[in-house]
Amino acid sequence: MTPAGVIVGAVMGCLLLIWVINLIRNGRLYVGYGVIFVLGTLTAIVVLLAPRLLEAVTAASVALVPVPSIGVGAIAIMLFLLVYVFTQITILSNRVMHLTQELAIRGAQRQSRSHPEPGEPT
Amino acid sequence: MLMPSPGRRSLIAIPAYNEAATIRDVVGRVRASLPECDLLVVNDGSGDDTAALLIDSGAIVAEHICNLGYSRAIQTAVLYAARAGYDRLITLDADGQHDPQQVQALLAQFDVEQLDVLIGSRYVVSRSYAGVPFGRRIGMQLFSRLVAVTAGRRIYDTTSGLKVIGRRAFEPLTQWHFIDFHAEALVYLMRLGFRVGEFPVTVVERRHGRSMYSTISLLKYPLKTLLMLLLGVIQADLTRKRAS
Repeated sequence: MTPAGVIVGAVMGCLLLIWVINLIRNGRLYVGYGVIFVLGTLTAIVVLLAPRLLEAVTAASVALVPVPSIGVGAIAIMLFLLVYVFTQITILSNRVMHLTQELAIRGAQRQSRSHPEPGEPT
Repeated sequence: MLMPSPGRRSLIAIPAYNEAATIRDVVGRVRASLPECDLLVVNDGSGDDTAALLIDSGAIVAEHICNLGYSRAIQTAVLYAARAGYDRLITLDADGQHDPQQVQALLAQFDVEQLDVLIGSRYVVSRSYAGVPFGRRIGMQLFSRLVAVTAGRRIYDTTSGLKVIGRRAFEPLTQWHFIDFHAEALVYLMRLGFRVGEFPVTVVERRHGRSMYSTISLLKYPLKTLLMLLLGVIQADLTRKRAS
């Protein structure tokens, strides 16, 4: 991999990392999915920045699956798309969660009004 | 013996998921030990007879139509307590590990120290995790020390399900998201300036049902908690900056 390729890869990795962390912080990406992306991206950045490690990984991957280097770009796009898809899943599941909680609370409030608990003001 | 302040409304909340073997007994013991407190059971989408056993048990039941997990069940209880105007929320496990008779002492300490969160702690006296399985012991030590580093005070039992939460802490606990209301929630609250303490309690081993931690979750839990703990530090600092 050329030095320019390493720099581009590391910058893209950092951008992905910042995006994922911000999504988790805002509750738009479930932390269980996010932690996989964070660990994966951190590992990729470490590999990119350690020349011997990068050589070993490149040799191993080419020996297993010889693909043109443009394939790396496709993998990067897939990765960003995957984060986007998981974000949409998280947003949907958050809506279901809020709905479930709201229904539960309203049900409990109805019960509480019909059968006041000891100590509750009437 | 110290007594809790009179006139303050308290809600006991028990999150329950497939706890048919113990829930009736736990509800009965809570009602006998703490008749002045209201009782809410959050049935978190149980697939067994938990819901049926709660009918006519004397507890108010918040029914999740599907399983949302422990932290969301606690969050439902916090939301309910906030809307109903309770002063304190006490969380207890549904597996019968906690003795409700210890809650009075916990409430008294909570009032005396004017805390926002008081944790019923299994390890604050011994300050060691003897008898805890090796993997869990390492995790407990790690998160206890991480809380000390990031929040400035060591909490020995970050995973206790027995907690007293004051009204002031209701809002932040529903404004952000947590994994299990453990180390990450404590750090978040402490970084926001809330007062968190520990009080010694004893627990009995669970005799029925399964722990909410499976083998896989024991691998995933530390990673998720670590990430959320670090994000909690950032989020709390951002919140404080915005507020000031």
